[in-house]
Amino acid sequence: MSALSAVMYREGKIRATNALFIFWDVVYPLGYLLVFGVGMNKALGFSGLPTDYHAFFLAGVLGMAGFGIASNTAWSFFMDRDNGIFYEMLTYPISRAEYLLGKVLFNVAIGLVQAFITVLLARALLGVPLRPDRFPLLAAAVVVGTAGWFFFYAIFALAIRRNDAFNTVTSIFYFVFLFASSMFYPIDPLPVAFRAVALVNPITWHVDVMRFATIGLGDPRSVALEAAGFVAFTLVSFAGALLVLRREG
Amino acid sequence: MPEPAIRVHNLVKLYARRRQPTIRAIDLLTFDVARGSIFGLLGPNGAGKTTLLRVLSTLARPTSGAASVLGHDVVASPLEVRRRISVVIQETAVELFLTVRDNLGTFARFHGLGDAGIRTRAERVLEDFGLASEAHRKVMDLSGGYRRRVQVAKVFMVDTPVVFLDEFSTGMDPVLKRSVMEKLRREAAAGRTIVLTTQILGEAEELCDDILILNRGRQAARGDLHTLKLLSQGVYDVTVTFDRLPPGIEDELAARGPIRLSITQSTVEVTLKEDDDGILAVVGALARRGRVLRLEVGGASLEDIFVELTKEGPRVGADTEDHHGGRA
Repeated sequence: MSALSAVMYREGKIRATNALFIFWDVVYPLGYLLVFGVGMNKALGFSGLPTDYHAFFLAGVLGMAGFGIASNTAWSFFMDRDNGIFYEMLTYPISRAEYLLGKVLFNVAIGLVQAFITVLLARALLGVPLRPDRFPLLAAAVVVGTAGWFFFYAIFALAIRRNDAFNTVTSIFYFVFLFASSMFYPIDPLPVAFRAVALVNPITWHVDVMRFATIGLGDPRSVALEAAGFVAFTLVSFAGALLVLRREG
Repeated sequence: MPEPAIRVHNLVKLYARRRQPTIRAIDLLTFDVARGSIFGLLGPNGAGKTTLLRVLSTLARPTSGAASVLGHDVVASPLEVRRRISVVIQETAVELFLTVRDNLGTFARFHGLGDAGIRTRAERVLEDFGLASEAHRKVMDLSGGYRRRVQVAKVFMVDTPVVFLDEFSTGMDPVLKRSVMEKLRREAAAGRTIVLTTQILGEAEELCDDILILNRGRQAARGDLHTLKLLSQGVYDVTVTFDRLPPGIEDELAARGPIRLSITQSTVEVTLKEDDDGILAVVGALARRGRVLRLEVGGASLEDIFVELTKEGPRVGADTEDHHGGRA
Protein backbone atom coordinates (compact mmCIF):
# COMPACT_ATOMS: atom_id res chain seq x y z
CA MET A 1 0.00 0.00 0.00
CA SER A 2 1.42 3.37 -0.99
CA ALA A 3 2.00 6.08 1.57
CA LEU A 4 -0.76 8.21 0.07
CA SER A 5 -3.34 5.46 0.24
CA ALA A 6 -2.26 4.62 3.81
CA VAL A 7 -3.04 8.21 4.86
CA MET A 8 -6.36 8.08 2.97
CA TYR A 9 -7.20 4.75 4.58
CA ARG A 10 -6.53 6.19 8.01
CA GLU A 11 -8.69 9.26 7.36
CA GLY A 12 -11.47 7.05 6.03
CA LYS A 13 -11.27 4.75 9.04
CA ILE A 14 -11.56 7.66 11.44
CA ARG A 15 -14.42 9.30 9.56
CA ALA A 16 -16.23 5.98 9.27
CA THR A 17 -16.40 5.74 13.07
CA ASN A 18 -19.11 8.39 12.94
CA ALA A 19 -21.66 7.64 10.22
CA LEU A 20 -23.80 10.62 11.22
CA PHE A 21 -20.87 12.92 10.51
CA ILE A 22 -20.51 11.56 6.98
CA PHE A 23 -24.27 11.65 6.42
CA TRP A 24 -24.39 15.28 7.52
CA ASP A 25 -21.43 16.19 5.30
CA VAL A 26 -23.17 14.65 2.32
CA VAL A 27 -26.66 16.08 2.76
CA TYR A 28 -26.22 19.43 4.49
CA PRO A 29 -25.61 21.47 1.32
CA LEU A 30 -28.87 20.15 -0.03
CA GLY A 31 -30.63 21.10 3.18
CA TYR A 32 -29.08 24.55 3.00
CA LEU A 33 -30.23 24.94 -0.57
CA LEU A 34 -33.75 23.82 0.23
CA VAL A 35 -34.17 25.91 3.36
CA PHE A 36 -32.13 29.02 2.67
CA GLY A 37 -32.24 29.05 -1.14
CA VAL A 38 -35.95 28.45 -1.50
CA GLY A 39 -36.72 30.77 1.42
CA MET A 40 -34.71 33.62 -0.07
CA ASN A 41 -36.21 32.99 -3.48
CA LYS A 42 -39.75 33.23 -2.14
CA ALA A 43 -39.15 36.05 0.31
CA LEU A 44 -36.92 38.39 -1.67
CA GLY A 45 -37.12 37.18 -5.24
CA PHE A 46 -33.82 38.83 -6.24
CA SER A 47 -35.11 40.61 -9.30
CA GLY A 48 -32.42 41.21 -11.87
CA LEU A 49 -30.99 37.72 -11.67
CA PRO A 50 -31.05 35.82 -14.96
CA THR A 51 -32.32 32.78 -13.07
CA ASP A 52 -34.15 31.67 -9.90
CA TYR A 53 -32.32 32.42 -6.69
CA HIS A 54 -32.01 28.74 -5.75
CA ALA A 55 -30.41 28.02 -9.15
CA PHE A 56 -28.03 30.94 -8.57
CA PHE A 57 -27.34 29.80 -5.02
CA LEU A 58 -26.56 26.17 -5.99
CA ALA A 59 -22.90 27.02 -6.75
CA GLY A 60 -22.72 29.05 -3.54
CA VAL A 61 -23.92 26.08 -1.53
CA LEU A 62 -21.38 23.80 -3.19
CA GLY A 63 -18.61 26.33 -2.49
CA MET A 64 -19.71 26.67 1.12
CA ALA A 65 -19.75 22.88 1.52
CA GLY A 66 -16.20 22.53 0.19
CA PHE A 67 -15.10 25.38 2.45
CA GLY A 68 -16.69 23.60 5.44
CA ILE A 69 -15.11 20.22 4.68
CA ALA A 70 -11.74 21.92 4.28
CA SER A 71 -11.94 23.73 7.61
CA ASN A 72 -13.10 20.54 9.42
CA THR A 73 -10.27 18.54 7.88
CA ALA A 74 -7.72 21.16 8.92
CA TRP A 75 -9.20 21.21 12.42
CA SER A 76 -8.45 17.48 12.68
CA PHE A 77 -4.76 18.42 13.04
CA PHE A 78 -5.70 19.57 16.54
CA MET A 79 -7.36 16.22 17.24
CA ASP A 80 -4.24 14.45 16.00
CA ARG A 81 -2.09 16.62 18.25
CA ASP A 82 -4.32 15.89 21.25
CA ASN A 83 -4.09 12.15 20.55
CA GLY A 84 -0.31 12.46 20.27
CA ILE A 85 -0.55 10.71 16.93
CA PHE A 86 0.47 13.81 14.98
CA TYR A 87 4.14 13.63 15.94
CA GLU A 88 4.21 9.85 15.66
CA MET A 89 2.83 10.14 12.13
CA LEU A 90 5.66 12.49 11.25
CA THR A 91 8.02 9.56 11.89
CA TYR A 92 6.13 7.27 9.49
CA PRO A 93 7.61 6.53 6.07
CA ILE A 94 5.60 9.22 4.29
CA SER A 95 6.69 12.53 2.87
CA ARG A 96 5.13 15.68 4.30
CA ALA A 97 3.45 16.32 0.93
CA GLU A 98 1.89 12.84 0.99
CA TYR A 99 0.64 13.49 4.50
CA LEU A 100 -1.16 16.66 3.40
CA LEU A 101 -2.49 15.19 0.15
CA GLY A 102 -3.64 11.93 1.76
CA LYS A 103 -5.43 13.86 4.47
CA VAL A 104 -7.46 15.87 1.98
CA LEU A 105 -8.07 13.20 -0.69
CA PHE A 106 -10.56 11.19 1.34
CA ASN A 107 -12.45 14.39 2.09
CA VAL A 108 -12.33 15.39 -1.55
CA ALA A 109 -14.07 12.10 -2.30
CA ILE A 110 -16.76 13.02 0.26
CA GLY A 111 -17.00 16.44 -1.43
CA LEU A 112 -17.61 14.82 -4.81
CA VAL A 113 -20.38 12.59 -3.45
CA GLN A 114 -21.87 15.60 -1.70
CA ALA A 115 -21.80 17.68 -4.91
CA PHE A 116 -23.27 14.85 -6.98
CA ILE A 117 -26.21 14.36 -4.59
CA THR A 118 -26.82 18.09 -4.22
CA VAL A 119 -26.80 18.76 -7.96
CA LEU A 120 -28.95 15.76 -8.73
CA LEU A 121 -31.61 16.64 -6.14
CA ALA A 122 -31.48 20.35 -6.98
CA ARG A 123 -32.53 19.32 -10.48
CA ALA A 124 -35.14 16.81 -9.27
CA LEU A 125 -36.69 18.85 -6.44
CA LEU A 126 -36.21 22.44 -7.55
CA GLY A 127 -35.95 22.07 -11.32
CA VAL A 128 -32.59 23.86 -11.44
CA PRO A 129 -31.50 24.01 -15.10
CA LEU A 130 -28.14 22.24 -15.29
CA ARG A 131 -25.35 21.95 -17.87
CA PRO A 132 -24.36 18.25 -17.76
CA ASP A 133 -21.70 18.87 -20.42
CA ARG A 134 -19.82 20.95 -17.84
CA PHE A 135 -19.96 18.38 -15.04
CA PRO A 136 -16.29 17.40 -15.53
CA LEU A 137 -15.44 21.04 -14.87
CA LEU A 138 -17.68 20.97 -11.79
CA ALA A 139 -15.92 17.85 -10.51
CA ALA A 140 -12.54 19.52 -11.05
CA ALA A 141 -13.77 22.63 -9.22
CA VAL A 142 -14.95 20.53 -6.27
CA VAL A 143 -11.63 18.67 -6.08
CA VAL A 144 -9.37 21.71 -6.44
CA GLY A 145 -11.67 23.85 -4.30
CA THR A 146 -11.77 21.48 -1.34
CA ALA A 147 -8.02 20.86 -1.56
CA GLY A 148 -7.20 24.56 -1.95
CA TRP A 149 -9.20 25.63 1.07
CA PHE A 150 -7.84 22.71 3.11
CA PHE A 151 -4.24 23.73 2.35
CA PHE A 152 -5.09 27.32 3.19
CA TYR A 153 -6.65 26.36 6.53
CA ALA A 154 -3.85 23.86 7.23
CA ILE A 155 -1.34 26.73 7.31
CA PHE A 156 -3.19 28.18 10.28
CA ALA A 157 -4.07 24.86 11.93
CA LEU A 158 -0.40 23.85 11.89
CA ALA A 159 1.00 27.22 12.88
CA ILE A 160 -1.51 27.96 15.65
CA ARG A 161 -1.06 25.80 18.74
CA ARG A 162 -4.38 26.62 20.42
CA ASN A 163 -7.62 25.09 19.29
CA ASP A 164 -9.67 28.08 20.47
CA ALA A 165 -7.42 30.51 18.58
CA PHE A 166 -7.90 28.46 15.42
CA ASN A 167 -11.67 28.52 15.93
CA THR A 168 -11.56 32.31 16.13
CA VAL A 169 -9.56 32.43 12.90
CA THR A 170 -12.06 30.18 11.11
CA SER A 171 -14.96 32.32 12.34
CA ILE A 172 -13.28 35.40 10.90
CA PHE A 173 -12.59 33.60 7.63
CA TYR A 174 -16.20 32.42 7.39
CA PHE A 175 -17.41 35.95 7.89
CA VAL A 176 -14.95 37.66 5.53
CA PHE A 177 -14.62 35.08 2.78
CA LEU A 178 -18.24 33.98 2.56
CA PHE A 179 -20.01 37.32 2.76
CA ALA A 180 -17.53 39.37 0.71
CA SER A 181 -17.99 37.09 -2.26
CA SER A 182 -20.44 36.02 -4.94
CA MET A 183 -21.61 33.11 -2.81
CA PHE A 184 -24.97 34.52 -1.65
CA TYR A 185 -25.57 37.35 -4.14
CA PRO A 186 -24.23 38.76 -7.41
CA ILE A 187 -21.43 41.24 -6.74
CA ASP A 188 -22.22 43.73 -9.54
CA PRO A 189 -24.74 45.80 -7.54
CA LEU A 190 -22.45 45.99 -4.46
CA PRO A 191 -20.70 49.23 -3.33
CA VAL A 192 -17.31 49.71 -5.02
CA ALA A 193 -15.13 48.85 -1.99
CA PHE A 194 -17.19 45.79 -1.16
CA ARG A 195 -17.04 44.69 -4.78
CA ALA A 196 -13.28 45.19 -4.94
CA VAL A 197 -12.83 42.89 -1.94
CA ALA A 198 -15.16 40.30 -3.46
CA LEU A 199 -13.27 40.36 -6.76
CA VAL A 200 -9.97 39.41 -5.11
CA ASN A 201 -11.59 36.85 -2.84
CA PRO A 202 -10.70 33.28 -3.91
CA ILE A 203 -14.20 32.16 -2.81
CA THR A 204 -15.62 34.34 -5.57
CA TRP A 205 -13.31 32.70 -8.12
CA HIS A 206 -14.24 29.25 -6.86
CA VAL A 207 -18.00 29.88 -6.77
CA ASP A 208 -18.00 31.63 -10.16
CA VAL A 209 -16.33 28.59 -11.76
CA MET A 210 -18.91 26.30 -10.16
CA ARG A 211 -21.78 28.57 -11.25
CA PHE A 212 -20.46 28.41 -14.79
CA ALA A 213 -20.17 24.62 -14.49
CA THR A 214 -23.65 24.06 -13.02
CA ILE A 215 -26.05 26.53 -14.63
CA GLY A 216 -23.80 28.03 -17.30
CA LEU A 217 -23.83 31.55 -15.82
CA GLY A 218 -20.74 33.71 -16.45
CA ASP A 219 -18.41 34.94 -19.14
CA PRO A 220 -16.10 32.07 -20.22
CA ARG A 221 -13.00 34.30 -20.39
CA SER A 222 -13.37 35.80 -16.96
CA VAL A 223 -14.29 32.38 -15.52
CA ALA A 224 -11.10 30.92 -17.08
CA LEU A 225 -9.11 33.70 -15.44
CA GLU A 226 -10.77 33.04 -12.09
CA ALA A 227 -10.10 29.29 -12.45
CA ALA A 228 -6.42 29.99 -13.11
CA GLY A 229 -6.37 32.33 -10.10
CA PHE A 230 -7.85 29.66 -7.88
CA VAL A 231 -5.37 27.02 -9.06
CA ALA A 232 -2.55 29.46 -8.25
CA PHE A 233 -4.13 30.10 -4.82
CA THR A 234 -4.25 26.32 -4.23
CA LEU A 235 -0.60 25.83 -5.19
CA VAL A 236 0.58 28.72 -3.03
CA SER A 237 -1.51 27.43 -0.09
CA PHE A 238 -0.07 23.93 -0.57
CA ALA A 239 3.47 25.33 -0.53
CA GLY A 240 2.64 27.34 2.60
CA ALA A 241 1.13 24.35 4.41
CA LEU A 242 4.10 22.19 3.44
CA LEU A 243 6.50 24.81 4.78
CA VAL A 244 4.70 25.02 8.12
CA LEU A 245 4.41 21.23 8.38
CA ARG A 246 8.13 20.81 7.71
CA ARG A 247 8.81 23.21 10.57
CA GLU A 248 6.83 20.87 12.82
CA GLY A 249 9.26 18.05 12.15
CA MET B 1 33.43 -4.17 10.02
CA PRO B 2 29.74 -3.52 9.22
CA GLU B 3 28.54 0.04 9.10
CA PRO B 4 26.96 1.08 12.40
CA ALA B 5 23.19 1.38 12.61
CA ILE B 6 23.46 4.95 13.81
CA ARG B 7 26.27 7.40 13.39
CA VAL B 8 26.31 10.79 15.11
CA HIS B 9 29.13 13.24 14.51
CA ASN B 10 29.64 16.58 16.25
CA LEU B 11 25.89 16.98 16.55
CA VAL B 12 24.59 20.27 17.92
CA LYS B 13 20.97 21.25 18.49
CA LEU B 14 20.20 24.72 19.75
CA TYR B 15 16.81 26.03 20.80
CA ALA B 16 16.58 29.79 20.47
CA ARG B 17 14.11 31.42 22.83
CA ARG B 18 12.74 34.92 22.73
CA ARG B 19 14.51 37.21 25.23
CA GLN B 20 16.12 34.21 26.92
CA PRO B 21 19.47 32.53 26.48
CA THR B 22 19.68 29.90 23.75
CA ILE B 23 19.54 26.33 25.01
CA ARG B 24 22.24 23.96 23.83
CA ALA B 25 20.06 20.84 23.99
CA ILE B 26 22.74 18.76 22.25
CA ASP B 27 26.29 19.93 22.44
CA LEU B 28 28.87 18.36 20.09
CA LEU B 29 27.84 14.73 20.47
CA THR B 30 29.71 12.02 18.61
CA PHE B 31 28.95 8.31 18.87
CA ASP B 32 28.05 5.20 16.89
CA VAL B 33 25.46 2.53 17.67
CA ALA B 34 26.26 -1.00 16.55
CA ARG B 35 23.68 -2.97 14.58
CA GLY B 36 21.65 -5.39 16.64
CA SER B 37 22.50 -3.73 19.93
CA ILE B 38 20.28 -2.28 22.63
CA PHE B 39 21.54 1.22 23.17
CA GLY B 40 20.44 3.15 26.24
CA LEU B 41 20.35 6.93 26.48
CA LEU B 42 20.37 8.01 30.10
CA GLY B 43 20.43 11.41 31.66
CA PRO B 44 18.52 13.71 33.98
CA ASN B 45 15.56 15.75 32.74
CA GLY B 46 16.76 18.24 30.17
CA ALA B 47 19.91 16.28 29.36
CA GLY B 48 18.97 16.16 25.67
CA LYS B 49 17.76 12.55 25.32
CA THR B 50 14.42 13.34 23.72
CA THR B 51 15.96 16.01 21.51
CA LEU B 52 18.50 13.47 20.30
CA LEU B 53 15.73 10.98 19.51
CA ARG B 54 13.79 13.72 17.71
CA VAL B 55 16.81 14.45 15.54
CA LEU B 56 17.44 10.77 14.81
CA SER B 57 13.79 10.17 13.95
CA THR B 58 13.72 13.25 11.63
CA LEU B 59 11.35 15.24 13.85
CA ALA B 60 13.91 17.97 14.46
CA ARG B 61 16.74 19.27 12.30
CA PRO B 62 20.16 19.51 13.88
CA THR B 63 21.71 22.96 14.10
CA SER B 64 25.07 21.55 12.97
CA GLY B 65 26.93 18.28 12.73
CA ALA B 66 25.60 15.11 11.17
CA ALA B 67 23.53 12.09 12.06
CA SER B 68 22.66 9.08 9.96
CA VAL B 69 20.56 5.94 10.34
CA LEU B 70 21.77 2.90 8.40
CA GLY B 71 23.82 5.19 6.20
CA HIS B 72 21.03 7.68 5.46
CA ASP B 73 21.52 11.23 6.59
CA VAL B 74 18.62 12.52 8.72
CA VAL B 75 18.62 15.91 6.97
CA ALA B 76 19.43 14.93 3.38
CA SER B 77 17.30 11.75 3.22
CA PRO B 78 14.65 11.93 5.96
CA LEU B 79 12.21 9.68 4.10
CA GLU B 80 14.85 6.96 3.70
CA VAL B 81 15.49 7.20 7.44
CA ARG B 82 11.77 6.97 8.23
CA ARG B 83 11.48 3.84 6.06
CA ARG B 84 13.92 2.13 8.41
CA ILE B 85 12.64 3.21 11.81
CA SER B 86 9.67 2.86 14.09
CA VAL B 87 9.26 5.18 17.02
CA VAL B 88 7.51 5.18 20.38
CA ILE B 89 7.44 8.85 21.31
CA GLN B 90 7.40 9.98 24.93
CA GLU B 91 3.79 11.16 24.83
CA THR B 92 0.98 8.66 24.39
CA ALA B 93 0.22 8.45 20.67
CA VAL B 94 -2.82 6.44 19.64
CA GLU B 95 -5.86 6.77 17.40
CA LEU B 96 -8.47 7.31 20.09
CA PHE B 97 -11.50 6.74 17.85
CA LEU B 98 -10.22 3.49 16.36
CA THR B 99 -10.27 0.04 17.93
CA VAL B 100 -7.10 -1.55 19.27
CA ARG B 101 -6.96 -3.82 16.22
CA ASP B 102 -7.41 -0.89 13.83
CA ASN B 103 -4.64 1.01 15.62
CA LEU B 104 -2.28 -1.85 14.88
CA GLY B 105 -3.58 -2.14 11.32
CA THR B 106 -3.33 1.53 10.35
CA PHE B 107 0.20 1.73 11.74
CA ALA B 108 1.28 -1.39 9.83
CA ARG B 109 -0.25 -0.07 6.60
CA PHE B 110 2.02 2.97 6.77
CA HIS B 111 4.94 0.56 6.86
CA GLY B 112 3.73 -1.28 3.77
CA LEU B 113 2.01 -4.34 5.25
CA GLY B 114 -0.98 -5.73 3.36
CA ASP B 115 -4.23 -7.11 4.78
CA ALA B 116 -3.01 -10.70 5.14
CA GLY B 117 0.23 -9.68 6.83
CA ILE B 118 -1.63 -7.36 9.17
CA ARG B 119 -4.11 -10.06 10.20
CA THR B 120 -1.39 -12.58 11.02
CA ARG B 121 0.82 -10.10 12.85
CA ALA B 122 -2.03 -8.50 14.75
CA GLU B 123 -3.15 -11.81 16.25
CA ARG B 124 0.32 -12.46 17.61
CA VAL B 125 0.91 -8.93 18.88
CA LEU B 126 -2.54 -8.73 20.52
CA GLU B 127 -1.77 -11.98 22.30
CA ASP B 128 1.76 -10.95 23.31
CA PHE B 129 0.58 -7.66 24.77
CA GLY B 130 -2.47 -9.05 26.55
CA LEU B 131 -4.72 -7.04 24.27
CA ALA B 132 -6.69 -9.85 22.62
CA SER B 133 -9.74 -9.33 24.81
CA GLU B 134 -9.66 -5.57 24.08
CA ALA B 135 -9.09 -5.92 20.33
CA HIS B 136 -12.51 -4.58 19.36
CA ARG B 137 -12.68 -1.81 21.94
CA LYS B 138 -12.05 1.77 20.93
CA VAL B 139 -8.84 3.05 22.45
CA MET B 140 -10.67 6.07 23.88
CA ASP B 141 -12.41 3.63 26.25
CA LEU B 142 -9.14 2.19 27.58
CA SER B 143 -7.07 3.31 30.56
CA GLY B 144 -3.82 5.25 30.16
CA GLY B 145 -1.75 2.12 30.79
CA TYR B 146 -3.56 0.20 28.06
CA ARG B 147 -3.19 3.10 25.64
CA ARG B 148 0.57 3.04 26.19
CA ARG B 149 0.48 -0.71 25.69
CA VAL B 150 -1.22 -0.25 22.30
CA GLN B 151 1.35 2.38 21.36
CA VAL B 152 4.30 0.13 22.16
CA ALA B 153 2.60 -2.92 20.59
CA LYS B 154 2.51 -1.09 17.25
CA VAL B 155 6.27 -1.27 16.75
CA PHE B 156 6.05 -5.05 16.97
CA MET B 157 3.71 -5.08 13.97
CA VAL B 158 6.59 -4.19 11.65
CA ASP B 159 10.19 -5.23 11.08
CA THR B 160 11.94 -1.88 10.74
CA PRO B 161 15.63 -2.48 11.43
CA VAL B 162 15.83 0.37 13.96
CA VAL B 163 13.43 1.08 16.82
CA PHE B 164 13.43 4.20 18.97
CA LEU B 165 11.70 3.99 22.34
CA ASP B 166 11.34 7.12 24.44
CA GLU B 167 10.58 5.98 27.99
CA PHE B 168 8.57 3.05 26.66
CA SER B 169 7.68 1.56 30.05
CA THR B 170 5.81 4.62 31.36
CA GLY B 171 2.47 3.42 32.73
CA MET B 172 3.20 -0.27 32.19
CA ASP B 173 2.69 -2.80 34.94
CA PRO B 174 5.82 -4.73 36.02
CA VAL B 175 4.71 -8.01 34.43
CA LEU B 176 4.11 -6.48 31.01
CA LYS B 177 7.29 -4.42 31.30
CA ARG B 178 9.30 -7.55 31.89
CA SER B 179 7.66 -9.27 28.95
CA VAL B 180 8.34 -6.28 26.64
CA MET B 181 11.97 -6.21 27.78
CA GLU B 182 12.25 -9.89 26.91
CA LYS B 183 10.77 -9.19 23.46
CA LEU B 184 13.23 -6.35 22.93
CA ARG B 185 16.11 -8.69 23.76
CA ARG B 186 14.80 -11.19 21.22
CA GLU B 187 14.40 -8.49 18.56
CA ALA B 188 17.97 -7.31 19.15
CA ALA B 189 19.26 -10.88 18.99
CA ALA B 190 17.51 -11.16 15.62
CA GLY B 191 19.43 -8.11 14.39
CA ARG B 192 17.14 -5.19 15.17
CA THR B 193 18.79 -2.15 16.70
CA ILE B 194 16.95 -0.74 19.71
CA VAL B 195 17.62 2.76 20.99
CA LEU B 196 15.85 3.64 24.20
CA THR B 197 15.73 6.41 26.73
CA THR B 198 14.73 5.68 30.27
CA GLN B 199 14.72 7.25 33.70
CA ILE B 200 14.51 3.80 35.27
CA LEU B 201 18.13 2.86 35.61
CA GLY B 202 17.43 -0.74 36.56
CA GLU B 203 15.78 -1.09 33.14
CA ALA B 204 18.90 0.12 31.36
CA GLU B 205 21.11 -1.99 33.61
CA GLU B 206 19.15 -5.10 32.69
CA LEU B 207 18.58 -4.38 29.02
CA CYS B 208 21.29 -2.30 27.41
CA ASP B 209 24.48 -3.56 25.77
CA ASP B 210 25.73 -0.06 25.42
CA ILE B 211 24.90 3.04 27.46
CA LEU B 212 25.42 6.73 26.81
CA ILE B 213 24.94 9.00 29.78
CA LEU B 214 24.08 12.53 28.73
CA ASN B 215 24.31 15.61 30.85
CA ARG B 216 23.55 19.11 29.58
CA GLY B 217 23.56 17.80 26.02
CA ARG B 218 27.05 16.36 26.33
CA GLN B 219 28.41 12.90 26.76
CA ALA B 220 29.06 12.30 30.45
CA ALA B 221 30.03 8.65 30.01
CA ARG B 222 29.77 5.89 27.45
CA GLY B 223 30.22 2.14 27.46
CA ASP B 224 28.69 -1.13 28.55
CA LEU B 225 27.66 -1.59 32.15
CA HIS B 226 31.02 -3.07 33.12
CA THR B 227 32.95 -0.15 31.63
CA LEU B 228 30.69 2.36 33.35
CA LYS B 229 31.14 0.64 36.67
CA LEU B 230 34.90 0.88 36.25
CA LEU B 231 34.44 4.64 35.97
CA SER B 232 33.20 4.71 39.48
CA GLN B 233 35.83 2.63 41.18
CA GLY B 234 35.91 3.68 44.78
CA VAL B 235 32.16 4.30 44.89
CA TYR B 236 30.43 2.11 47.46
CA ASP B 237 26.85 1.49 48.50
CA VAL B 238 26.54 0.95 52.25
CA THR B 239 23.26 -0.19 53.81
CA VAL B 240 22.96 -0.45 57.57
CA THR B 241 19.85 -1.39 59.52
CA PHE B 242 19.98 -0.51 63.24
CA ASP B 243 17.58 -1.72 65.87
CA ARG B 244 17.01 1.99 66.57
CA LEU B 245 18.27 4.88 64.46
CA PRO B 246 21.21 6.57 66.25
CA PRO B 247 20.62 10.30 66.81
CA GLY B 248 22.57 12.72 64.59
CA ILE B 249 23.63 10.05 62.13
CA GLU B 250 22.18 11.88 59.16
CA ASP B 251 24.29 14.98 59.83
CA GLU B 252 27.37 12.86 60.39
CA LEU B 253 27.00 11.10 57.06
CA ALA B 254 26.00 14.27 55.23
CA ALA B 255 29.29 15.81 56.40
CA ARG B 256 31.15 13.17 54.39
CA GLY B 257 29.62 14.51 51.15
CA PRO B 258 27.81 11.37 50.03
CA ILE B 259 26.67 10.83 46.46
CA ARG B 260 23.36 9.63 47.79
CA LEU B 261 21.93 9.40 51.29
CA SER B 262 18.58 8.05 52.33
CA ILE B 263 17.23 7.14 55.73
CA THR B 264 14.06 5.10 56.06
CA GLN B 265 12.95 4.31 59.61
CA SER B 266 16.03 2.57 61.07
CA THR B 267 17.81 1.84 57.77
CA VAL B 268 20.53 4.06 56.40
CA GLU B 269 21.52 3.80 52.73
CA VAL B 270 24.51 5.82 51.70
CA THR B 271 26.67 5.95 48.58
CA LEU B 272 30.16 7.26 49.15
CA LYS B 273 33.29 7.78 47.12
CA GLU B 274 36.12 6.52 49.34
CA ASP B 275 39.25 4.43 49.06
CA ASP B 276 39.28 0.93 50.60
CA ASP B 277 40.58 2.09 53.98
CA GLY B 278 38.14 4.97 54.04
CA ILE B 279 35.08 2.81 53.44
CA LEU B 280 36.19 0.35 56.11
CA ALA B 281 36.57 3.25 58.53
CA VAL B 282 33.03 4.48 57.69
CA VAL B 283 31.57 1.00 58.15
CA GLY B 284 33.43 0.61 61.48
CA ALA B 285 32.20 4.00 62.67
CA LEU B 286 28.61 3.14 61.71
CA ALA B 287 28.81 -0.21 63.46
CA ARG B 288 29.87 1.53 66.67
CA ARG B 289 26.88 3.89 66.64
CA GLY B 290 24.27 1.32 67.61
CA ARG B 291 23.14 -2.24 67.46
CA VAL B 292 23.40 -3.34 63.82
CA LEU B 293 20.79 -5.79 62.53
CA ARG B 294 22.00 -5.88 58.93
CA LEU B 295 25.03 -4.51 57.12
CA GLU B 296 25.73 -4.59 53.39
CA VAL B 297 28.62 -3.07 51.46
CA GLY B 298 28.62 -3.30 47.67
CA GLY B 299 30.03 -1.74 44.53
CA ALA B 300 28.24 1.13 42.83
CA SER B 301 25.02 0.57 40.93
CA LEU B 302 24.26 2.29 37.64
CA GLU B 303 22.16 4.72 39.62
CA ASP B 304 25.19 5.71 41.73
CA ILE B 305 27.26 6.24 38.62
CA PHE B 306 24.45 8.24 37.06
CA VAL B 307 24.15 10.49 40.11
CA GLU B 308 27.93 10.91 40.32
CA LEU B 309 28.22 11.87 36.65
CA THR B 310 25.25 14.18 36.51
CA LYS B 311 25.21 15.73 39.97
CA GLU B 312 25.80 19.26 38.65
CA GLY B 313 22.08 19.18 37.95
CA PRO B 314 20.14 19.79 34.80
CA ARG B 315 19.31 23.12 33.23
CA VAL B 316 15.79 24.06 34.01
CA GLY B 317 13.55 24.27 30.96
CA ALA B 318 15.44 22.18 28.44
CA ASP B 319 13.14 19.18 28.65
CA THR B 320 10.10 21.39 28.40
CA GLU B 321 11.42 22.54 25.05
CA ASP B 322 11.89 18.92 23.99
CA HIS B 323 8.38 18.10 25.05
CA HIS B 324 6.74 20.75 23.03
CA GLY B 325 8.97 20.38 20.06
CA GLY B 326 10.65 23.75 20.49
CA ARG B 327 12.14 25.18 17.37
CA ALA B 328 15.67 26.17 16.57
